[in-house]
Amino acid sequence: MANPVTLNVNGQDHSVEADPDSMLLYALRDDLGLHGPKFGCGLSQCGACTVLMDGAATRSCVTPVSAAAGTKIVTLEGLGTIDKPHPLQQAFIDEQAVQCGYCINGMIMTAKVFLDDNPHPSRDEIKQALNDNLCRCGTHMRIVRAIERAAKGGQG
Amino acid sequence: MNTRPENLHETERLTVSRRNFLKGSAGLVVAFSIVDPTTLLAAAGEAEGKSAGSPSSSKLYAWLAIDPDNTATLFTGKVETGTGVETALAQIAAEELEFPVDRLDVVMGTTSRTVDQGPTYGSMTVRYAGPQIRHAAAAARKALLDMAAGHFKLPAQQLIARDGKVAVIGAPDQSVTFGELVDGKRLDIDIEATGKGFGLKVAPDAPVKDPSTYSVVGQSLRRKDIPGKVTGQFTYIQDVKVDGMLHGRVVRPYGVGARLESVDETGLKDIPGFVQVVRRENFLGVVAETEWAAIKAAEKLGSTLDPQGPQAAQAKWGDWSDLPEQKEIWETLRKTAGGNTSISSKGSVDMALPFAARTIKATYETPFQMHGSIGPSCAIADVRADSATIWGGTQMPHEIRGNMAQMLGIDEDRIDLVWHEASGAYGRNGLEHVIPDAALMSQAVGRPVRVQWMRWDEHGWEPKGPPIVQDLTGALDADGNVVAWRHHMWVPTTGDTRLVAVELAGLPEIGSEGQGDAAITYAYTFDNADVACHGMGRVGLLTAWLRSPAQFETTYAMEAFIDELAAEAKQDPLSFRLKYLGDQRAVEVLRAAAEAYGWEPRPSPAPQQDGKLAKGRGIAWVNRDDARVATIADVTVDRESGEIRVKRVVVAHDCGLVVNPDGLRNQIEGNVIQSLSRTLHEEVMFDRSRVTSLDWQGYPILRFEEIPDQIDIVFVNNRPEYPSFGGGEPSTCPTAAVISNAVFDAIGVRLRRTPFRPERVKAAMSRTG
Repeated sequence: MANPVTLNVNGQDHSVEADPDSMLLYALRDDLGLHGPKFGCGLSQCGACTVLMDGAATRSCVTPVSAAAGTKIVTLEGLGTIDKPHPLQQAFIDEQAVQCGYCINGMIMTAKVFLDDNPHPSRDEIKQALNDNLCRCGTHMRIVRAIERAAKGGQG
Repeated sequence: MNTRPENLHETERLTVSRRNFLKGSAGLVVAFSIVDPTTLLAAAGEAEGKSAGSPSSSKLYAWLAIDPDNTATLFTGKVETGTGVETALAQIAAEELEFPVDRLDVVMGTTSRTVDQGPTYGSMTVRYAGPQIRHAAAAARKALLDMAAGHFKLPAQQLIARDGKVAVIGAPDQSVTFGELVDGKRLDIDIEATGKGFGLKVAPDAPVKDPSTYSVVGQSLRRKDIPGKVTGQFTYIQDVKVDGMLHGRVVRPYGVGARLESVDETGLKDIPGFVQVVRRENFLGVVAETEWAAIKAAEKLGSTLDPQGPQAAQAKWGDWSDLPEQKEIWETLRKTAGGNTSISSKGSVDMALPFAARTIKATYETPFQMHGSIGPSCAIADVRADSATIWGGTQMPHEIRGNMAQMLGIDEDRIDLVWHEASGAYGRNGLEHVIPDAALMSQAVGRPVRVQWMRWDEHGWEPKGPPIVQDLTGALDADGNVVAWRHHMWVPTTGDTRLVAVELAGLPEIGSEGQGDAAITYAYTFDNADVACHGMGRVGLLTAWLRSPAQFETTYAMEAFIDELAAEAKQDPLSFRLKYLGDQRAVEVLRAAAEAYGWEPRPSPAPQQDGKLAKGRGIAWVNRDDARVATIADVTVDRESGEIRVKRVVVAHDCGLVVNPDGLRNQIEGNVIQSLSRTLHEEVMFDRSRVTSLDWQGYPILRFEEIPDQIDIVFVNNRPEYPSFGGGEPSTCPTAAVISNAVFDAIGVRLRRTPFRPERVKAAMSRTG
């Protein structure tokens, strides 16, 4: 059906049979069984599908598998787990910064890259960084607070 | 809680047969699918005659299970939609059961495992399901005390239940855990249960606790679902995988009512993994081995963001252009037949008007709006000859099971609807409709089919909140007192429960159209009042309930127009309202909001301001289903661009006893931001054939840069002697009025049509001069 493509995801190589033009999101979700990146729009408009590719926040719904091969991909699962959450994930828990949570993957992955570049941001800088990520539940206030908390080393 | 740790390395593609799947391989299967094999029995057809019916509400095991390791499970027909009710209901159960809440799991929605407690909507879960669960848990505590009485050979009065154990009063080292008492058995104990759904009364005589002694209810416990959701370990309906599952996509008509003329399947078989086209009358879908193949096949047939016409793709649709003109939608409402209802009729407005010193009139117009879930709707169906399993994220699993029994001609007890949480829906969106889509496709191909809508399917075909037009007349005497108030509204249905796929496939109708109602609580004490609603069925697009259905809009008109009267009378808008309110709880929330805000009485508009940015404040309140909310906001209006920014929002909220204060704050913040988005940005665009707002560019919503600087929340009447009313949506209602009133305060311009986009603000400014 299609040629095998090797994807390096969360530190492990995986061979995936996929049409090279198909989007990375489906390989991650359907072939690798990951739940972090979500299908939201397929149009790069909402951010729910965000993953890190070689350290850059990337919309996996519009990134062909062929472009992802050879890169290092990190998903929400690659940051931490329920037992050992990443500080950003812990900050979202501490601020209870979730309602339905469908967008939260994009918020955390976008914030991860943003804080790596700008460890001590202002509130306005956080809002700018997340401006292309959509949340429908209206959890914005808490999401901003969670990122501020993470930037302060976990202090609220 | 749908969280289950997963290991990426275990998630290899499975090829086990359905039979093998049921027999074992649990480790592998669990890694790939969260399906509990017992729930698959009906679908697998391997348990002939086994019922997938719901447990009887008069058995204690229908509500609670206690395991030997002293963990427990609460079963509820209610579902989590992102509002935190899973945790709130667990708190209510743990409180009465005297059980540690962190050892209490919650199973929600799945029809074979839960009692139908009515759909999860209308802010009615804590209010109605809460007492049902409370009484069931109290009955369970009593049963455990009775068991312990046998265990200790002491009267139950000498025992106390605490923290999952029963101990002897005065001898705390003599204790036994609930798990030991139950000893691995199910709680096969009869309890009294009468009525059904919201009206279900469970164990009315159970010895419930005095609310003043609550130690779990009223605490800001952390939500159970959040750790899984922030780590990708949570299983949404979109994440569920079923053995042997295919992927389906719908291809909706180009025009809403268009007939499918032909389908050219050229090239579809060249798509690797393509399985087949499913067509029934005007219902069209494609099924494939992979999601990508389904997407590509659907694209060939015309499922794209930007279709070029009814005949432009390989599915050919007839011309259809019977939608009303968008710019005439409000006139269309006035001309549509319906039924009239009087909400309030007091004195005579007509006979009072000739004596008025001043009479003002205004018309408020609000558009179609959408739920706009971030995750498009998704379901999986496995339809067999005489049974079916459906995995869905619907807010009404029991009702949809009935719908599917009707559609498929399968006995309801042979259908299991396995529920998983979806992306937030905020009402009836596509989650109900994607279920028959999946069922029709599964029935056609004889395998389980997962259908997820594309973004344009969700934007285009989810049921919308309807457009509403409202005429108001108010009259003042020479002293600025209100002598007459008339509020007439034209409201299409917010309760159309007919299913898109059923209509497209030409199957016998399921559900009903419904008729619009005012959804307003008129509480002012004017001597002459005439508040009435012209309710209609479907006008143009399919409409159903969207957060605070119709009341978001009717509160806007009522609370902006009373502001108009206050301004006309040159009186402070808060004091003006208080003069005409007898509802003590309304008065209390208004006063609490004013105090938290630091409200200084003065009429609107604010004294003339210089400069580019004008500042204003607005106030409004609502009584939605017995919750009272008052909201005050500060805005700035950019006189050059027309842009409104919301700076500070204060909400005083009275929904009685609060189960989880932080959970309620989260909900109120969400309501404020979502309703700000609806106020400032949202309007579904359509032409004569179809919805044209098909993505987030066509239907913009509020973004991070526009959120308020601050949302302050005050709880009013959060006291044990008050019952818990709903908190999921009332705080949506005041927002449009608050912003309209604040803009008037800032620049003296009244905005009477949502959304308040900058160009509308500028147009209104130029009209006012």
